[in-house]
Amino acid sequence: MTAFTGTPRLMRLVMRREWRTGFWWVLAIVSLGMVMVTYIDRNMPTLAVMATYVDMINQNTFFRALGGGTSVIVDRGFMSAFRSGGFLYIMTAIATALAVVRYTRADEDTGRTELLRSGAVSRFAALTSALLVAGSVALVAGALTAITYMAVGLEPLGSITYGAGVTAAGWVFGAIAALAAQLAQNARTARAIALFTLAIAYVLRYAGDASGQLWMTYISPMGWVHAVQPYRYDRWWVLALIVGIVAIMIAIAYVLVDRRDLGEGLIPQRRGRAAAPDLRGPIGLSWRLHRGLFVKWAIAIGVFALGTAGVGTIAPDVSVLPAGAFGLLQLSYGGGSGEVIDYFLWAGILIFAHVVSLYPVVMVQRLRAEERAGRAELAQGTTMTRVRWAAGHLVVTALGTAGLLVVTGLVLGYFYGLFMGALPGTLFRVTLGTLSCLPGAWLITAVCFLAYALTPRFSVPIAWAVWVWTAVTGQVAGPLYGVWGGTPFEPFHYLPNVVAGAPFNPVPVLATLALTALVLWGGLTALRRRDVG
Amino acid sequence: MTDPVSVSGLVKTFGATRALDGLDLTVKLGEVHGFLGPNGAGKSTTLRILLGLLRFDAGTVRLLGGDPWRDATDLHRRLAYVPGDVTLWPAMSGGEIIDLLLQVRGGVDRTRRNELIERFDLDPRTKARAYSKGNRQKVALIAALASDTELLILDEPTSGLDPLMESVFRDVIREEQRRNGRTVLLSSHILSEVEALCDRVTIIRDGRAVDSGSLAQMRHLTRTSIRAEVAGPATGLADLPGVHDLRIDDGVVRFDVESDALGPVLRHLDSCGVRSLVCNPPTLEELFLRHYDRTMETAR
Repeated sequence: MTAFTGTPRLMRLVMRREWRTGFWWVLAIVSLGMVMVTYIDRNMPTLAVMATYVDMINQNTFFRALGGGTSVIVDRGFMSAFRSGGFLYIMTAIATALAVVRYTRADEDTGRTELLRSGAVSRFAALTSALLVAGSVALVAGALTAITYMAVGLEPLGSITYGAGVTAAGWVFGAIAALAAQLAQNARTARAIALFTLAIAYVLRYAGDASGQLWMTYISPMGWVHAVQPYRYDRWWVLALIVGIVAIMIAIAYVLVDRRDLGEGLIPQRRGRAAAPDLRGPIGLSWRLHRGLFVKWAIAIGVFALGTAGVGTIAPDVSVLPAGAFGLLQLSYGGGSGEVIDYFLWAGILIFAHVVSLYPVVMVQRLRAEERAGRAELAQGTTMTRVRWAAGHLVVTALGTAGLLVVTGLVLGYFYGLFMGALPGTLFRVTLGTLSCLPGAWLITAVCFLAYALTPRFSVPIAWAVWVWTAVTGQVAGPLYGVWGGTPFEPFHYLPNVVAGAPFNPVPVLATLALTALVLWGGLTALRRRDVG
Repeated sequence: MTDPVSVSGLVKTFGATRALDGLDLTVKLGEVHGFLGPNGAGKSTTLRILLGLLRFDAGTVRLLGGDPWRDATDLHRRLAYVPGDVTLWPAMSGGEIIDLLLQVRGGVDRTRRNELIERFDLDPRTKARAYSKGNRQKVALIAALASDTELLILDEPTSGLDPLMESVFRDVIREEQRRNGRTVLLSSHILSEVEALCDRVTIIRDGRAVDSGSLAQMRHLTRTSIRAEVAGPATGLADLPGVHDLRIDDGVVRFDVESDALGPVLRHLDSCGVRSLVCNPPTLEELFLRHYDRTMETAR
C-alpha cells in the first residue's frame, strides 16, 4: 500500500504529541458528564421531584432547547444525558476539530509536513494519522463516558448509545475540520471555519428545537447528534447516518489532498492593507493586534447573555421547587428582597463577571507571547520602549474588559426586561450591577500583569491560577462548597448587591481601584528593572 | 563630538554563563562599523544592551551621548534597529508593519518608503504570516532604512536575503553613508559583506573584543599571497625571512609572505626572471581564521 507509506510511523509521532492535549480534553469531558449525573441526583432525588422539574422544563422553551429535543421525560439516564449532552458534544467536537487541524494544516504552515514528505511518506499520511488519532480521542471520550455512566447504575444500552453520540459529535467535526484544512491556506483560517461551522450548527439546532421549526435542527450536524436521544429512543440508525456522512466528507478531503499542491488551499490567502497611516503608537498597535479577539469575545458574550436572559425566564417557576435545591443560593444572592428573580440576576451577573475576567487574563498572557516570539524586541527597538509598550496594551485590555461588561449588562438587562415585561427598570439595574464588577476585573488584570513583570516564565500558570482561585473562592462556586467569602482575596464578594436593591456603597469600588493602581505601578516598576526577550 | 557608540569593559552574565566578558567597542561618527564574530560570541547580546532591552552587570555604555537603559525612549527616536531573527505580527501586512515602525520613530517619508519597497521588491499587502524569512527581513530593513535616524543598528541584516537583494542592501547602505552621513553598526559573520561595506571592524570572540581597527590596519598585520611564474629556478626563496607555505611546481611558485618582508622577496623574485605575478591581499576570511587560530593557540 504505497498510498499510506509512512503512516504508522507518523501516527506514532502524532500520538506522542496528542497525548498531552487529548488527555486533558478527555478528563474534562468525562468529569463534566459525571458532574451532571451528581447534579441530577442531588437536585432530583425522587421521581416525584424530577417530575416537577420535567414539567417546568417542558413549559419553558428556552431551557428545554438547551438539552435538545422537543420534550423531556422522567428518567435518571435521560435527564443526565439531556443536561450534559449539549456540553459534552460541543467539547468533543472542539477537541477533535482542533486536533485534526493541528496535525494537518498547522504542520503544513510550519514546514514540518514538507520535511516529512521529502522522506518516504505518502501524501495521505498526515491526514490519515491526524484523523485516526483525533478520532481516537473522541472514541476514548465517548467510551469512558459510557463506562462511567454504566458504573453509576444507568441503563447499559442508553449509556453506550450516549457514549456513541459523544464520539459521533467528535467525528463529524473532525471530518469538517479535515475539509476545512484542505480549503483554507493556513491553520488559523481552518480552525476558524471549523469552529464557526460548530457555532452555526449549535445555533441552528437550538433555534430549531426551541421554535419547533425542526428543519433547522435537521440541517445542523449538531441536530443529528442530538437526534440520537439516548435512554429514550436510542436511535442507532441516526448514528449510522452520521458515520456515512463522515465517510463522505473524509473521502472528499482525500480527493482534495491528492489534487492540491503542498501549502496551497482553495480559499486564497486574504491580503492586508498596503499602508497604515493611523498606526502610530502602543495603544494603536495593541488594538490592531487584539481587536479580533475583542470582537469574538463581544459576540460570544452577547450571545451568551441573550441565552441567559432566555433561560432565566424559568426563574419565577423555580419557587415551586423544593427549597433544598436552591435554598442556600437563594438566601445568598436574593439580597434584601429574597426574590428569586433578584437571585437569578445577581448570580448571573457574577457568573458573567467571572467569565469576562478571563479576557484580561488571556490578554496579559499575550504580552508574554509577544516577548517570547521576539516581536517585543522589534517593537521595543523603537520608541515603544518597555513601559510604553506594556501600558498601551494594558489600556486596551482595561477598556476591552469594560466594553465586555457593558455588552453583558445591556444585552442581559434589555432582553430579560423584554421577556419579563419589566423594561426599562431591569436594563438599568442589570447594567449598573455589571459595571460595579469592573474594578474587580481590573484588579485581576493588575495581578496577572504583576506576575508577568516579575516572573515572565511562570506568568501563564500564575495568571490561570489567579482566575481559578477567584472563581473557586468567589461568589459563584464559593457558596456551593461552603467557602464563600472564606478568603479576603476575592474581589467580587465585597460588592453590594445593587440588583436586589442594596444601597450602592462606593467604598469597595474605590478600595479595589486604589489597590489595582498600586499593583499596576508595582508591575510597571518591576518590568522597568528586568531584561526583556 | 562624542562617538555614537562607546562601550568599555562591558560584562553581562546569564546565570553561570558569562556572555560578555569585558567587551570594548567604539563606533565613530559617520562610519560603517562591522561587528564580526562567530555564532554565540555575544554580538546580539551587545546590540540588545545598546537598545536597553537587557541590563548589564559591569562596564560603561554610552549610546548617542546617553544611557541606553535610562534614556531608551529618547534614544530610540534617533536610531533604527533590525533584530537578527525578525519575527513579525502574523495578521498584519508588511506595509502596515513598516508604517507602524516608521511612525513610532517619528514620521513617514512616503516617497522614500515606497522607493525602498520597490527596490527591495516587496509586496506590502501580503500578510506577515505568508512571508518567507527573506521577506520578513526586508520588512524590518525597509522600516529601518526609510526612517530618518542618525544611527542604524543591524543584527546580521542580510542573513535571509538572496544575492540580488544583498547587493541592493549594500547600495542603499553606501548611499546612506555618503548622502546622509548616517552611522551604521552592523553585526555579521559574512565576511565579504563586511569587507565590501565597512570602514572599521571589531572582532569579538567569547564576549571579548580580540581586535579592532580599519581593514587596512588589520591587513598590515597579515600576509599577502603571491603566485609567480619564473624563468629560472627559484632557489633561495625558502631561506628568506617571512616566507611561508612555499610550493614550486613546473616554474610556478606559490607562497604567503608577511607584509613587512615583502621588499626583499620581490627583489629576489626579480632576480629569478618574473614572467607573471599575481598578488592577493589577504581576504578577511583568512584574517578571521588566522585570528581565531592564534587566539585558540594562546588559549591552549
